[in-house]
Amino acid sequence: MATQVIMPKVDMVMETGTFVEWLKKEGDRVEKGEPLFVILTDKANIEIEAPASGILTELRAQPDDIIPVTEVIAVILEPEEVLPPQPDLAAEGAPTPALPSAAPTSGPAISEPATGKGLVGAKVRATPAARRLARELGIDLSQVSGGGQSGRIHKNDVETFANHQLIATEKEPKGPQLPSKPLPATAIPLPRARQKQVVPFEGPRKIIAERMTHSALTAPHITLALRVDMSEATRLRSQLQGPIEQRTGLRLSFTAIIARAVAAILPRHPYLNASLAEAEIILWEDIHLGIAVSLEDYLIVPVLREAQSRNLEQIVRMLGDLLERARSRRLAPAEMSGSTFTISNLGMFGIESFTPIINPPESASLAVGKIVNTPVSTQTGIELRPMMNLTLSADHRVVDGAAAARFLADVRATLENPYLLI
Amino acid sequence: MNGDGTREISYLEALREALSQEMRRNPEVFLIGEDIGVYGGAFGVTRGILEEFGPERVRDTPISEAAIAGAATGAALMGMRPVMEIMFMDFMTISMNQLVNQAAKIRFMFGGKASIPMVIRTPAGSGTGAAAQHSQSLEAWFIHVPGIKVVAPATPSDAKGLLIAAIRDNNPVLFLEHKLLYGNKGPVPAESYTIPLGQAKVRREGSHATILAYSIMVIRALEAAERLAAEGIQVEVVDLRSLKPLDKETIARSVSKTGRVLIVHEAPQTGGFGGELAAVVAESDAFHYLDAPIRRLAGRDIPIPYNRVLERAAVPQVEDIVAAARALTYEGR
Repeated sequence: MATQVIMPKVDMVMETGTFVEWLKKEGDRVEKGEPLFVILTDKANIEIEAPASGILTELRAQPDDIIPVTEVIAVILEPEEVLPPQPDLAAEGAPTPALPSAAPTSGPAISEPATGKGLVGAKVRATPAARRLARELGIDLSQVSGGGQSGRIHKNDVETFANHQLIATEKEPKGPQLPSKPLPATAIPLPRARQKQVVPFEGPRKIIAERMTHSALTAPHITLALRVDMSEATRLRSQLQGPIEQRTGLRLSFTAIIARAVAAILPRHPYLNASLAEAEIILWEDIHLGIAVSLEDYLIVPVLREAQSRNLEQIVRMLGDLLERARSRRLAPAEMSGSTFTISNLGMFGIESFTPIINPPESASLAVGKIVNTPVSTQTGIELRPMMNLTLSADHRVVDGAAAARFLADVRATLENPYLLI
Repeated sequence: MNGDGTREISYLEALREALSQEMRRNPEVFLIGEDIGVYGGAFGVTRGILEEFGPERVRDTPISEAAIAGAATGAALMGMRPVMEIMFMDFMTISMNQLVNQAAKIRFMFGGKASIPMVIRTPAGSGTGAAAQHSQSLEAWFIHVPGIKVVAPATPSDAKGLLIAAIRDNNPVLFLEHKLLYGNKGPVPAESYTIPLGQAKVRREGSHATILAYSIMVIRALEAAERLAAEGIQVEVVDLRSLKPLDKETIARSVSKTGRVLIVHEAPQTGGFGGELAAVVAESDAFHYLDAPIRRLAGRDIPIPYNRVLERAAVPQVEDIVAAARALTYEGR
């Protein structure tokens, strides 16, 4: 049974993927689950695993090809299996609604192979329940990727496909978060200078551009800053460093302590953990903390899910895992989206303070600066204390200055007395 | 005893009660078999019945399965309601000509003018260390023969209600008792009652997968379902109770609901009743709701070994059902 290799839909709103490279060659023996090829989505390079074991053939994707999701880009054959010629398939009379040639395509057109031989005919492996549901929903099963044995399509796969289709079709016309059209081309002339390199404006870079522009243009930012005395937090860190490292093998970072503090405080400040969605403001129960991470060429925001219910050790573990995989580019798109509040720390670069742009559709974002030993006046005189700047940007449509200030003051109070977290 | 007359009694006692109550109710009912009188039956089911009803209605025979079946068939033809016992199901082979060619056919050969209201009780199954010639589950052979009904109760209350229904039925009914079930206790109403042949029972509701089972495998499937529930897997257990006639409606309804089906029986898989059940599912409307291939878990295709470890390994145990149902539940999910 031939298994089709398709351009996967790894993200809910993904319509096309840019093919990067094959990790296997025509005729190679591949094992199910082995990395087979690499694609570039809006967010990241992603390795895609072989959906079945067998002999890889019919490679049709070239590097840099932009390919619609679900388009077949190769086939995996069982040893000694040959692809059936197309006339045989036509003669089979099509009881399976899955043959692309027989099924009316309702969704985006899937380009068919130009030649008669090949994949058009590979029969779809699907359970009766999956077929019934696909019939009811008018879904072409050849577009659905199967999660079962040897790529068999189960009901669940059809439901997932249908949900994604629904989301894709519902979201696009409205486009509540992203401008649906590219930004108007600037009329400002380019300088006359020698070019070193021309980099395509695409993928993650373009997404970041769109989101940040959208946020800057639509969300009126108010920005508040204060200084936090990190003496106690530093002491806490040095006390917990040993035990936590012993238990997790990871260092306890200030980012983790700050994440823990923010997650503990945010439930008391619901409008800072909120999203403005057209006619309503959604206050989120869950705190999905986005932690901004800079890779060498762009920014990603892995998400600490349900941070409100994690203790410090769990946060250290989750952060360690997310950051490590982010740096090796092994994060799934779902792990880099859906945050409800973002923390961005540039202290490690020596930055003392900076102004964040809110990561939409969140309502606020917290910037963390470097901890600097600073003379501070105390009741007994002047002391050197480890001081850290926090800068909060909030969407003034949702949050007023006083509410933002109360939140920020709460964060400071907690970091200055981190034992409150216990 | 409860207010409604329900007590905890064993499967074996429930059978004995069914026999006694029907013998009191109807003088045409009599018992015939090897060692069923003075000795009370190889497993003790008929103990004490000779004392109440006397040797004319509780007939001890020589080792003569063909004669027992022939005599019972003749008596039934003449208007009696014999309940014959074959000491081990393995020995049914000797009585098969009488049962298959006579008892099952007479109604049809006489154009419906004669009937054979008889019950063939027999202990089936392995688990007692009785080896290959005293441990078989041969139900598929009889299910295959038109003219014979086959029932296989799993609980004491079903044993009683189904046996009374079998005695009152006007056709030959093969009544399968599993040796390991005889000691199982359960609530059984004291009064006489019947459970209609051909009605399955959903013993446990679930949404992730259906287990079709009968006889002792119902008990094991319920135990497996309990363990799976601890993992969050909810399996539905359908006790077929009657293998022929078969309650196809209940089967189709359950499988349509869960989309997955595991068929469990002790008899060897090849040519076993599970194949028929799989076909029933595939031919029914439930086909359109199947979200995974139909799975069978049955005895291995070997004679039952004497060695206790091998004997146990030869037929589905609770842990086998757990593993099979779990794998089925997760297929494609």
